[in-house]
Amino acid sequence: MAPRIQNQVVSNSLLPYLSPSSTTSSSTCLPRLPSTSSPSLAYRPRQSCRSLSSTVAPQTRRREEMFGWLHGPGARLKNHVPGQTNYLTSFKDKDGNLLSSTKIFPQNLMYRSESILSEDLRNEIYDRVVRQKRSVRAVSVELQVDMRRVAAVVRLVELENRMKEQDKPLALPYARAIHEMVPTSNYNKEYGSGRPHEGINDLPVHRLTNPQIFYPVSESRQFNRVDAGRVFSAAPALETSQVEENAADPYASVARITQNPGSIETVGKGDDEQQVLQPSDMRIPHPHLVAKERQNIINPNEFHKNREIYNERLAAEENATQERKLKAEKRREKQMLRVQPADSRFEFRIKDVVVSKETTGKDGRGARAPGRRYGVPSYDRKRGQVKIPTRVVV
Amino acid sequence: MVVRIRLSRFGNKHQPFYNIVVAQARSARDSKPLEVIGTFNPVPQRPTNLSDEEARRARAYKEVSLDRSRAKYWIGVGAQPSDSVWRLMSLAGIVRESKKAGESKKATEEKAQE
Repeated sequence: MAPRIQNQVVSNSLLPYLSPSSTTSSSTCLPRLPSTSSPSLAYRPRQSCRSLSSTVAPQTRRREEMFGWLHGPGARLKNHVPGQTNYLTSFKDKDGNLLSSTKIFPQNLMYRSESILSEDLRNEIYDRVVRQKRSVRAVSVELQVDMRRVAAVVRLVELENRMKEQDKPLALPYARAIHEMVPTSNYNKEYGSGRPHEGINDLPVHRLTNPQIFYPVSESRQFNRVDAGRVFSAAPALETSQVEENAADPYASVARITQNPGSIETVGKGDDEQQVLQPSDMRIPHPHLVAKERQNIINPNEFHKNREIYNERLAAEENATQERKLKAEKRREKQMLRVQPADSRFEFRIKDVVVSKETTGKDGRGARAPGRRYGVPSYDRKRGQVKIPTRVVV
Repeated sequence: MVVRIRLSRFGNKHQPFYNIVVAQARSARDSKPLEVIGTFNPVPQRPTNLSDEEARRARAYKEVSLDRSRAKYWIGVGAQPSDSVWRLMSLAGIVRESKKAGESKKATEEKAQE
């Protein structure tokens, strides 16, 4: 993207006030400050510009300090370097080069501005997913961008292309301004993307892990993350044979769950029924990366073979996902009858439902039965009902 | 007294939504029925998640949910569907197409030809 301020000489709107020729009084009132780094901004006695008055005009010292700063340390911020942030907290290195900083607020150094995708990186993601037909998972690993962000980029670029086709105006000046203000993750055809854009294997804290549980375990027993998850969800301990099986091939136990999430055990009854909390090894977005690292440690010299195994696992994972999706789609279609009457503009989708004691419940108010319920008040229009989603299920 | 299969209106103003219910014919429209066997949403829905080409050809759809076995049972024991429910059930293939003549449209056409 072309930098907005091409000319380095262009400066800010304060310029007319700083020029000595603008007003006659300002030249006497505002002594020219040295353009090199200014001396300390502490108070120092100075001459009044009104010869007959001994009182110092208010604000003059502050104004002087301000212009001192503008000419001194602030001068370097007047023109920004394209591709770098222009924050107050940016600093100079030994050679006098300005280094960009990610800290926007000088009073709040704990706040860091996160970088956004550059145009090049964004286009590269779209190219790999749409034109080269790579999987979202693979692109996410290669470019170190979260899978959800990859999916969002593909959708948004698609939308942008459509808007271009329809000759709709794009908010380019806005985009350009944002790209100049915040740090960006760049991508180079030759060198790749360099630093990772973000952590791709992050996991949010699960609700079930909030309570602190004191759980005594005998010293002779192996207690690992699988067991911890079972304790958190109050499930009985695993059988010894199962534990041994998991320990023998860690990736197989992970793949069993990731490729078939329906097989996760459940605990509780009725409305309290919930899945047993799985260890983070299975819940992270890219469990096969852990397996790859483990493989590399076991066979450090067989790089190609390790890569092959990794690719095989990735393919198996994708096949399983695809199969699962197809199966779900088929099941949905099986329960649905589509009728297109000749004399109607509409299609009728007739879904099979079940009315039985199990779905309606003993009192006939069960939520799984079809239809709006009787005797259950609807608080739809009551005040204080939050209708937008308040949490994201990851 | 007759048992009817009919629609009972739920939903808000300008947002109709119907339960397909089995109820005594003389009871109020929205009173508690004998049984709820399905729903009908008369507001046409636009299909989503389609490509441009598919979206151009796609028809809007109306959602019906129905427990077929319960519907057949109630008709078997003499419940009488109302006109609108008859139409929905004929789409689902539970009853014949035309309610009035006591025979299907095709049959009447064939008779007329003879």
